[in-house]
Amino acid sequence: MASVTISSVRKTYGAVSVIHGVDIDIRHGEFVVLVGPSGCGKSTLLRMIAGLENISAGTIAIDDKVVNHLEPKDRDIAMVFQNYALYPQMTVAQNMSFALELAKVDKATIRQKVDAAAAILGLEPLLDRKPAQLSGGQRQRVAMGRAIVRNPKVFLFDEPLSNLDAKLRVAMRAEIKSLHQRLGTTVVYVTHDQIEAMTMADKIVVLNAGRVEQIGTPLELYDRPVNRFVAGFIGSPAMNFLRGTLQVDQAGLKVASGSVIAIGAYPVELTGRTVEFGIRPEHIQVTETGGLDTLVDVVEPTGSETHVVADVAGEKLVALIRRRMPISVGDRLPIVFEEGQGHLFDAESGQRLILSSGQA
Amino acid sequence: MTLSPSAFANETVIKPPRDWVLIGLWISLVVVAAIWIAPFVFIVFTSLKSTAQVTTTSAFAPPVDPQFVNYAKAWARGRFDITFVNSAIIAAIKVPLGLFISAMAAYALAKIPMRFGRLILVLILFGTMIPFQVMLAPIFTLVNGLGLIDTYPGVILPYLAFGIPYQVFILYGFFRGIPHELSEAARIDGASHFVTFRRVFLPVSLPVLAALFILDFVATWNEFAMALVLLQDREMWTLPLGLSAFQGQFSRDYGQLNAAIVMTVLPATIVYLIFQRYFVSGLTSGAVKG
Repeated sequence: MASVTISSVRKTYGAVSVIHGVDIDIRHGEFVVLVGPSGCGKSTLLRMIAGLENISAGTIAIDDKVVNHLEPKDRDIAMVFQNYALYPQMTVAQNMSFALELAKVDKATIRQKVDAAAAILGLEPLLDRKPAQLSGGQRQRVAMGRAIVRNPKVFLFDEPLSNLDAKLRVAMRAEIKSLHQRLGTTVVYVTHDQIEAMTMADKIVVLNAGRVEQIGTPLELYDRPVNRFVAGFIGSPAMNFLRGTLQVDQAGLKVASGSVIAIGAYPVELTGRTVEFGIRPEHIQVTETGGLDTLVDVVEPTGSETHVVADVAGEKLVALIRRRMPISVGDRLPIVFEEGQGHLFDAESGQRLILSSGQA
Repeated sequence: MTLSPSAFANETVIKPPRDWVLIGLWISLVVVAAIWIAPFVFIVFTSLKSTAQVTTTSAFAPPVDPQFVNYAKAWARGRFDITFVNSAIIAAIKVPLGLFISAMAAYALAKIPMRFGRLILVLILFGTMIPFQVMLAPIFTLVNGLGLIDTYPGVILPYLAFGIPYQVFILYGFFRGIPHELSEAARIDGASHFVTFRRVFLPVSLPVLAALFILDFVATWNEFAMALVLLQDREMWTLPLGLSAFQGQFSRDYGQLNAAIVMTVLPATIVYLIFQRYFVSGLTSGAVKG
């Protein structure tokens, strides 16, 4: 176990800057997920922790020891790559023991560690196979086994589940999480999949264009996104946004079409301000009477819930309905926004204005 | 719903339609193979015939009374005991050494960031563009100046110089194609560049190394012009030089001449048969998800 401290880290390639001063504190044994869209710099940051990329400015410390100029092998980290990066000519056991062999660990200890890791990951029957003879999930497990045998201070995962099919991904997600709980090793995990981030992380770091947008627990990010980017990135289906001018006296939002949509009460000083109102799909309720009049555009039943795309005053909204009800395209569906669940963001800066209606 | 096997019993089996393109390809392959094999068959048959048989029978008629003695005579008269050993020594040193140097150079150029890496690569690739005939005279002057005429190093060093550039070129491309995660994983595992090269890259590159080994062995084994210029002492001659002298001396004795030719090409064939089994595709499959 170890802590990782990233302070004012920057990365530039010539004149191009890809990471602009990132600060992250990772505590002992924490499972931290770096998440963001492609090109946001999350993999670069992970590779800087691993020592595969130079750090242009700032420091990275593992257990209070600055590692900027240490070789990867001297940082006491292990990394699992997206495409596994197993040595094709070596058996599973040889793949897992390679690092220990290079570190001149004696044979008996290597054997013991490989067996222990294989037992944890259920790889015992596969130890003599070559990577080509394994399925995707098994290869992924071997890649993790290779990391485990080294008993590193920090595990680094670079989108390890991206190459697996959807079902296996869910299974491996749970496996990695339970592995972390058993081993208690600090984990830094990179993904572009916000569901992976939400389900696995103790702490999520949302990155965008080389900057940290927000750091927090999954539910903090979900319930109180600090800006429009985080609000839109976390959650699936994504949060709905309505852009317009706040009409506090009517408890509504005047949208582009000129209609006023009821969004609940907000402090009077915000009147006339151009904002983006955010509401999560599950906070849109179908009502019997009154409410907003919408026209159903698309109906997507998933079994456990139904996603309904509806048109309200020229704006599209996605509602998530858990109750089974007969809805079809073209229906008129009256809806209301759940009280206290709206998010207001400044239309210009995208920064959060207020937690929810009625609260400053 | 279940179907009993008898449900299909009355169905006529529909044959897939004939693929005429495939058939055409097969026919042309057979024709090309026959064209390539014909001279070899001719040489092997002739090598087993006496001079009288050569003149009286058709070139492609199998020998009725195989004259294996042709081989023994050709071996002795063509001084194969000397030329064969010389060729073997030169090929045995030059081919593995050249491949090893080329592979190391290609690894360094492909995987180690260097300030002038590109420039060095271009300079090496220049080597593939210079026809060696142009260089024969300067090489002779150089080797002579170093006092290496009629020595093994005197011929091995120029061979290396002309062999390495194209091997670097091919291996560079191959190493570039190996996913960088593989070398990064090795780096994290604590492997030095040399360990990564030896333990990860060389095993992964076996098919291409085997191909280069065969090509280079055959080229070195058959090399004539440079050997002719650099090896003047008959005791240092290689097989092609011996064969050419043999041809001059015994050009009437076709049986022995062809026996000498067979003995010359045989080692190259054996090397090919040994290494061709490494031409297995997909050796890297399973390393990373494709």
